Amino acid sequence: MHIVVCAKQIPDPETPPSAFKIDAATNKVVPAQGIAPVLSQFDAIAAEAALRIKEAGGEGKVTVISMGAESAQAAIKQVLAMGADEGVLLNDPAFEDGDSHTTAKVLASAIQKLGDVDAVFCGRQAADWDMGQVGLLIAEILDWPVATIAKGASLEGETLSVERVLADGFETVQVPFPAVVTVSNEFGEPRYPKLPQIMAAAKKTVTQMKAGDLGLDPSEVGKAGSRLQLQKLFIPEKGAQVEFIAGDTPQEQAAALVSKLRADKLI
Amino acid sequence: MAAPRDTPNRAQRLVGGWWGPAVGMSALGFYATATAPRDEAGREIFFNVPAGPWAVYVFFAALVGLLVWGFVRHASLWGIGRPTPGLFRDIPQRLRNTARLGLAQDKVRRDRYAGIMHWCIMSSIVVLTLVTAQVAIEADTPLNFLHGDYYLFFSFYGDLFGVIGLVGVGMALYRRYFADFHRIRWDERLEDHIIIVGLGLVLLTGFVVEGARILVTELDAHPDWAVWSFGGFAFAKGLEIFNFAEDQVLFLHEATWWVHVSIAFLWLGMIVFTRLDHLFFAPINAFFLRTDSQGRLAKIENIEEQEVFGVGYVQDFTWKQLFELDACVRCGRCTDVCPANIAGQPLSPMHLIQDLKAHLADVGPAIQQHRHEHGDAGREVSPVALVGEVILDETLWACRTCGACVQECPVMIEHVPTIVDMRRFLVMNEARIPATAQGALENLEMRGHPWRGTSLERTTWMEGLGDVPLFDGSQEYLYWVGCSGSLVERNLPVTTAVFRLLRESGASFGVLGQEETCNGDPARRLGNEYLYQILAQQLVETFKAKNVQKVITNCPHCFNTFKNEYPQFDGYFEVLHHTEFLSKAMQDGSLKATHPIAADVTYHDSCYLGRMNGIYDAPRQIIEMVPGATLTEMQRTLSKGLCCGAGGGNMWQEEVGERRVNHVRSEEAINTGASQLISNCPFCIQMFEDGVPAVQPEEEGRMRPFDIAELLEDAVFGPKAKEETPAAAGDSSD
Repeated sequence: MHIVVCAKQIPDPETPPSAFKIDAATNKVVPAQGIAPVLSQFDAIAAEAALRIKEAGGEGKVTVISMGAESAQAAIKQVLAMGADEGVLLNDPAFEDGDSHTTAKVLASAIQKLGDVDAVFCGRQAADWDMGQVGLLIAEILDWPVATIAKGASLEGETLSVERVLADGFETVQVPFPAVVTVSNEFGEPRYPKLPQIMAAAKKTVTQMKAGDLGLDPSEVGKAGSRLQLQKLFIPEKGAQVEFIAGDTPQEQAAALVSKLRADKLI
Repeated sequence: MAAPRDTPNRAQRLVGGWWGPAVGMSALGFYATATAPRDEAGREIFFNVPAGPWAVYVFFAALVGLLVWGFVRHASLWGIGRPTPGLFRDIPQRLRNTARLGLAQDKVRRDRYAGIMHWCIMSSIVVLTLVTAQVAIEADTPLNFLHGDYYLFFSFYGDLFGVIGLVGVGMALYRRYFADFHRIRWDERLEDHIIIVGLGLVLLTGFVVEGARILVTELDAHPDWAVWSFGGFAFAKGLEIFNFAEDQVLFLHEATWWVHVSIAFLWLGMIVFTRLDHLFFAPINAFFLRTDSQGRLAKIENIEEQEVFGVGYVQDFTWKQLFELDACVRCGRCTDVCPANIAGQPLSPMHLIQDLKAHLADVGPAIQQHRHEHGDAGREVSPVALVGEVILDETLWACRTCGACVQECPVMIEHVPTIVDMRRFLVMNEARIPATAQGALENLEMRGHPWRGTSLERTTWMEGLGDVPLFDGSQEYLYWVGCSGSLVERNLPVTTAVFRLLRESGASFGVLGQEETCNGDPARRLGNEYLYQILAQQLVETFKAKNVQKVITNCPHCFNTFKNEYPQFDGYFEVLHHTEFLSKAMQDGSLKATHPIAADVTYHDSCYLGRMNGIYDAPRQIIEMVPGATLTEMQRTLSKGLCCGAGGGNMWQEEVGERRVNHVRSEEAINTGASQLISNCPFCIQMFEDGVPAVQPEEEGRMRPFDIAELLEDAVFGPKAKEETPAAAGDSSD
């Protein structure tokens, strides 16, 4: 059993609002000073799910793949410290500023290159853009079945049994291998790494791959291959206006309030 | 205001407190014997007991053999522990500890009743052993001194300490059988009854023997000698009433002598098998007591090369940690003051030590044998897990590292380092850790502070304060704000109060602002020594790069870490808690509290300022100098103060048990009737903001928790000044 975990490094979701800035000219988030990027929490949970399946089976391998800059090594090391066996960093300037589709394409190519993969575990969405597309698109590109928003996953004979979160409960589905699973926070907390594993992870080398290694042309990935165009990135302005409703008696005030709400088409 | 002091004064230290009366009484006896002229008083050694000499020496040889055997047996078990570094450094300090804590028993006297009782029993045993030894010297050496005035003096103090011993035994019996004293029952064993009843019998039979001898040899012939043995004299007078024939008295004498000697030796033999071994182990453990600060935890050297992190197996303790298990007398003082235990949470330091001791006795010999045969650590020998089975996870997490148990322990056991060592194993080796504490640790790793989910920045508190100087090496002090001081809403008013007071005092200081990172204290207390070392090393380097010499902190935990723990990382700084600085500034006149604050306040000693660092006076001096403020102390105060519940990383844990510690402590504060609860620690304040409303649901007349700097800010700038920096009260942090 060889499971791939896709992990993304994102700007810290706990960046204080006052430190979160956007560069309007380039339509990009300005990295907050002194606040290091972190592993997307959903991906940490996906890693936890993959590791539990490996441990329950007694044998197997978990490979963590991340597409990102050199700094994403930290995210990979974190999953390695949790107990993953190998790490792959897909680091190429050509991959930058893509959309969900180009990201899925790069990840799928890497999974194909690894060859013997039985399952891919992703977070249900990346905690920065919250698109929730990449896992599905990987399945589409690989032509594998996909079970989304999992709150549980276990090995049952030759298939994977996945509990999926629904709006009003959950359902259990059986998925044949190879398959893609996207894992939700209902799955539970990711483990705290043990120190011996942290130190072992620090010594592991992460394999680096570029577009050429994956047989991808720079024109089909990153910004060049993107089908989605970002028009405008902005922080919504929050404001509150207070208006005191005039009136001599509570009855008059109530009547004035109602007509005001009607005029604003709120009731 | 006369603040209560609980450290012994000079005179008490000189004579170990309770030794005073004994010295006085003996001197009196000596004076009396020396001034009264009389004939050559004396007595026949082994009077009426022809077999006595050989019996005593057989018993004595057996006793020595038993003691040696027992010691070797114990010592071989301690020997499975790791080496204990630094145990023979600071010898003068260690000798002082042995004298003060071992012989003068400063700690025993922290419970007054037990102190008197224990001194009576101990001094009686010591003096009567000396009395017996003198008899032996008289009998078996050419020395011949037990006659004349000295003999009478000897008789006097022998009897005096016999009576003192009986008083002690009486007090012990009263507590055990009539007063139903709570801690005695927590782990009561058969030996406890045998020890105290046995000692009483030894003393009583001693008087009977003496009385019978006096009746035969002295009562008629030398009544002026007999009165010096006043105890025996009274017994003789009592026997006289019955008009026994002389051979009957002689028979009584001989029979009782045998009983007396047999029980005495059996009793001494129990040292090997019972808690009486503290006779030796307590003073030795006083010698082994750490001579550095209690606030310092041991550093794991070369942490990356360790086989096991922390203590997960009994042989991973140092041998000193194993040794002190044997010193425990099950008195229960530690458990009595443990905040977790007081709140009904799953930790009793006494039972923890006893469980470790039992575990060592269970598996120690097998580990020893395994080592002998295989030469490895033998970690797989024990069939039960030390951490998780012998000592439960929840027990380890309930500890506040507040040091109350260590403070009270009369035999100088250091529970806190032992508990943290096992936590280290849990966190680093096993990664078994409560979810909320894990969140705090992950946050430390990712964001350099433990406050998950804060929306504040390290510079937020500076808003509205005008020019806040950044530390650049040219200023005298670094004002260390800390994570709580900048990232927890309730603590911001404290930070600004300290800042304004520092500025007002004219001190030359600066802050680090965005460059502050956690100094690692929560990681260390929660058991993640690895993370702590990384954070500590980084910060020591930052301090050195910025040429920091003196640091003022508003957090006792930061204070303790910088002061006591950073020297382990070659970081030597002069560290002041803000209460120290402010108290000094008020005394030298650079700060003036001119606005009266009519408030009844009570003061809570945080563990890491008080017990761990002994700073009790500075904050009280500040309160004293605030015009209008009156201080009412809580019942548990100074070194006996109760933790707020947050220590040892419990700030970030869900509590398990009947009550929450902060509710207990808030209740104690409310019981003083004060309107303000003054503290000195950001954690304490958060705990009280949560605890006080739980005890006083009505908002009307509710006690308000403040930092001492907030109180002083009002007194220096006027109460209105607070409106400039609105204090977010209580409900903001959730």
